[in-house]
This record gives sequence, C-alpha cells and structure tokens, in this order.
Amino acid sequence: MVSQSELIKEARENGMELLPLDKDTYELFFGPQHMATENFSIILKMDGHRVVKAIANPGFLHRGFEKLAELRPWYTNIALLLRICVPEPDVPEMIYSMAVDELMGWEVPERAQWIRTTVLEMARVSAYLFWIMGLSFKLGVYTAGQWAAAYRERFMALFEELTGARVYHIYTIPGGVRRDIPGDKWLRQLKDTVEYIKSKLPDFDNLVFENYITHRRMEGIGVMDKKFALAEGVTGPNLRATGVPYDVRRMDPYLLYPELDFEVPVLKEGDALARALIRRYELEQDLYILEQLLEMGPPSGPYKVQDPRLKNLPRFKVPAGDAFAHVESTKGDFGAYVVSTGGNKPYRVQIRGPSIAHGIRVLEQLLVGARIADVPVILMSLDNCPPDIDR
Amino acid sequence: MEEIDFKVAPESKIKKRPSYIKPWLGLKYLFKKPVTIKIPYEKTQIAKNYRGFHSLDWKKCIGCNFCGQICPARAIEMTWIEVDGKVEKRPHPKIDYGRCTFCEFCVDVCPTGALGFVENFMLTTEWKDEELELFDWVPIHPDKLREINEKFPDYRFPVGKIEFNKETKEVTYYLRDGDVFKFKILGYGVRPPAAAKPKPAAPKAEEAKKVKKPEEKKGQKSEENSS
Repeated sequence: MVSQSELIKEARENGMELLPLDKDTYELFFGPQHMATENFSIILKMDGHRVVKAIANPGFLHRGFEKLAELRPWYTNIALLLRICVPEPDVPEMIYSMAVDELMGWEVPERAQWIRTTVLEMARVSAYLFWIMGLSFKLGVYTAGQWAAAYRERFMALFEELTGARVYHIYTIPGGVRRDIPGDKWLRQLKDTVEYIKSKLPDFDNLVFENYITHRRMEGIGVMDKKFALAEGVTGPNLRATGVPYDVRRMDPYLLYPELDFEVPVLKEGDALARALIRRYELEQDLYILEQLLEMGPPSGPYKVQDPRLKNLPRFKVPAGDAFAHVESTKGDFGAYVVSTGGNKPYRVQIRGPSIAHGIRVLEQLLVGARIADVPVILMSLDNCPPDIDR
Repeated sequence: MEEIDFKVAPESKIKKRPSYIKPWLGLKYLFKKPVTIKIPYEKTQIAKNYRGFHSLDWKKCIGCNFCGQICPARAIEMTWIEVDGKVEKRPHPKIDYGRCTFCEFCVDVCPTGALGFVENFMLTTEWKDEELELFDWVPIHPDKLREINEKFPDYRFPVGKIEFNKETKEVTYYLRDGDVFKFKILGYGVRPPAAAKPKPAAPKAEEAKKVKKPEEKKGQKSEENSS
C-alpha cells in the first residue's frame, strides 16, 4: 500500500493535483431527481449544515417555445405556449390571447369575459391547492397534501366538463373562448365545489397553517427585504410578503376584476411563513371571487368574436404592431410580449414567467446561511416553477 | 406606491396563531369513507366532450389540408388512399398519436366537418415495432367508432391491431369488434403521387417513396411559408 502523502507527492511531481480544491466546504448537488426541486437543480456549497453559496442551475426544461412559436400560425400557438406554466396552464394562453386581442383591436364579448375570469380564478384556486400539496409534502405533513390533491381533482373534473381536458385545457383563444358553458348543471356543480372547498379550508389551517411545527420551521428563514425584492423584480405573493401592496388585478385591471370585490393581503415580515400565509389568504379570496362571479351569472351573448377573418384560420393574419399583456398568476406577474409584422405567424413571442425573477438570483441570495433542511422549504415558499424559467 | 385605492387585508386576518392541539383535529377523517376510486372494478365517468381520438368521414373529407396546416405538433400528414381497387380522389389526413397534443384545432378548422373526435383516450402498447403501428392511423368513420364504443365502453382505442405491409403498402385494421378493414397507401403529401399504379414493381415503388417523402414534405412547408 502506498500512503496518501506519497501519492500526493508523486502526483505533484507529475504536475497533478489530487487534493480536493476546497477543504472547508463540500459541494452538494440538489438535482432534478430530488423530490423537492422539480426539474430544477441547485449546486450548494455547504459548510457543515449551513449553505455558504448556492448556484441555481436551471435549463432542464428548456424546450424553445419562443422559437417554436415563430414557426406556427397565430391560433396554433396556444396549444404550445400553455405548456410554459404547468400548475395553471390557463395563464399563458390568456396573456397570449389578450395580446393578440389588443393587436386585432377586438372587443371581447361580455360572456367570453365572464368565462375567462371564471377560468382564471378556477386555475388560481387549483394552483394554490397544488402548492399546498407541494408545501406540505416538503414539510412532511403528508395528510394535508393528500387532501389538497383530492380537492384539486374536483376542479379538474369541472375543467374537463367545460374544456374537454383535465390539465392542458386549450380553451382561451384570441377573441373569446372555444366552447360555451355546458349549462346550468355545470354552474351548480361549480357552486357546490366552491362551497365544499370553503368548508374544508379550516382543515388546512389546523394541519399546516396553524401548526406549531410549521411555524417553527418557516419563521425567519429566507427573509427578503422590500428594497431587494423591488430591485430584483419579484412580483406576486412573494413581493406582497415584503410589504408592497402590488397586485396586477388592481394596479392594471383586466377582464371583470374592476367590478369584483376582494382584498389584497400584505405582510411586512418577508420570511417563508409570511409568504405561505399570504397564499393561504389569497386562496380564501379567490373562492370569494368565484362566489361573486357565480352570483353575477354569465351574461347572454356570443362566446367568441364574430369576425369574417376567422373563417380561414391557417391564413389568419394579424396587423403589424406589438402588444404586451400581463396577468396576476399565483406565482406573480405573468407577461407576454407579442410582435407582429402582418403575417400569418408571429414575428416574436416573449413570455415573462414570474419565476425568472425569484427562481434564480433571489433564490441564490436567500439560501445563503440557510440550513440544509430549510432549502426545500424556501424553494417551495417562493413557489418556484422551473418551466417558467426555462421555457 | 403611496396611493393605494384598493382594499388591503388587515394583518390580523392573515396571521395565524400556532397551536399544539389543532393538528390532532386532522384525525377526524380516520373513520370516514375514502374518496378513492378502485379503478379496475369501478368505472370513471368521462366528460361528454372529452378530447380524445379522431374520427373521419371519408366521404366528406375534401383533402384541403387545413388540419395539417393548423396542427401545432405537425402530427397530420395527408395520405393518398386506395380502397377496394379505387383510388380516393382527395388525400385524407393520417394522424400520428406519438406527436398529437389532442388540442383538436384540426376539428375546429375542418370546413366540411369531416374530422371529429370521440371520448376514447386509452392507448397502451408494448415496446414492439408491430404494436407501435397503432399510433399512426387514418381515422375511421364516426358511426363505426360509436358502434364499437357501445360494445366496449372502456374508452380504449377502437382498433386492436394495425398491420402495415411494406411491400404491397397494404394497411389492415383489425377492429375490436372483429371486423377487418383494408386499404392501400399510395403516397404522402398534398400532391397526388406520381406512381398511382398499384401493382408493378413493388421494390421500385418503395425506393421511390423513400426518396420522395422528404421532397414532398419540403414542398409542403415551402407552400405554407409562401402563403
């Protein structure tokens, strides 16, 4: 046996370095197969159980949608772009449709607006339930996660009835929606579901949001400053947790939101617990919005714009210009920038996913000094969505 | 940011007080009926207009290739078909379920209503080449599909097996209710195939097809771009 020192000596003589370069820290790869990071990886430099440096390493889901969208007709792109946000696929199709509506100068019919608002809110509720599932799985409260998944299934059934698919419901198109509401039975079902989930919210409180262990695990970790959050472009619940009352639905209203009554939750702490509590309150408000919408009822009329240009869909042309539309999603401000040169295909489609702000640089800085057990919790409290970043 | 003209929720409503006892209340579901569905024994109800496999009325289809142009995944390819010795006047769409996203834009865009869809969504095969032929088909008539669905209400693919003979280019559908449906594929693309003769020199025709296929695809694309 050759001793290690001899080996090192021999290696040095031959111009090689055998030692690990850094003796104090070790490198940990939080990879895409880990249950906490969904198709996303972080390289962590650990000192003991504390993180010294974190490098976010996205790109596993880069499918080049923005390039693909340039090669396809205007209508077809909806089937493509909605894959950018998996938990709430209605948001990308909505922003793209809103941008194209703006380019075309269409006035979307009232019934279509009502349906669009309802679909957006349903998507928000199901995305929040999905987030509760993810959070409680990462905290180890598996029961609450199973409940959330089961309640989300009710919304999936409603979506199936309305749009014809469970998750990727290619439903919102430029100038309205693709199908009308199936009938009064569907509205009654939606009302029942909203009431049912509202009655089940205290259960989630008991198990996750009022749990002593949850509070101990999430209090004071991943603290974000107001200035820092604004400088990095953080939006949505993550920004509201730092004390900035910013909500796209109120600041730049779209669809039927000006007529609806709801509260915007704002907290000052900026830690993981504040972010979780804000999402919990928003879930309650979204259910309240759905109740109001059902009370209003869908106005009668067409569910699609009547335009002779729509007869020939593959050759459908959009006048030259550019448009930007954004929507408040559960992750933040989701925007689409569409440029047209007057052809039957878009010149450029740029999607601004909210996770691009809080998923890379902010995450890297929040993780510094965190314990290794807090890494999944911080990741989930930011509600990081890897397909947003990679696109 | 100073002027806020919308309702901001008070902090007291958002904040929760931690508790030692409340998590135990989750135990109340211990003696309630679970919400699971035991799949092989219980049937799930699929929505009436669930977007599933396609159906095609061969008489109505005029071969306009609108479906092929709108398809986001480019899963649709026009196919020239010969049934019972008669060449169809127009090409029909052949759908590749390996690429199809089930957006059903092709159904929306079809001007004659020839292309439709049924609720069936289940198609599972083993990793064998002869079974993977199932994923590539020219859809059959909607009435036939409905007939099969009445017999087997399990939302499976209506064809049990598809055989493709490379030499004679004959396709055989073995439908689930026992019927056999045969036709020949003469060529692909929007333009009619040059060698529409069915019989002479089978290997030659195969070679011609191999060479021709990419060319025609290019032609199709350039047509789309120019238009």
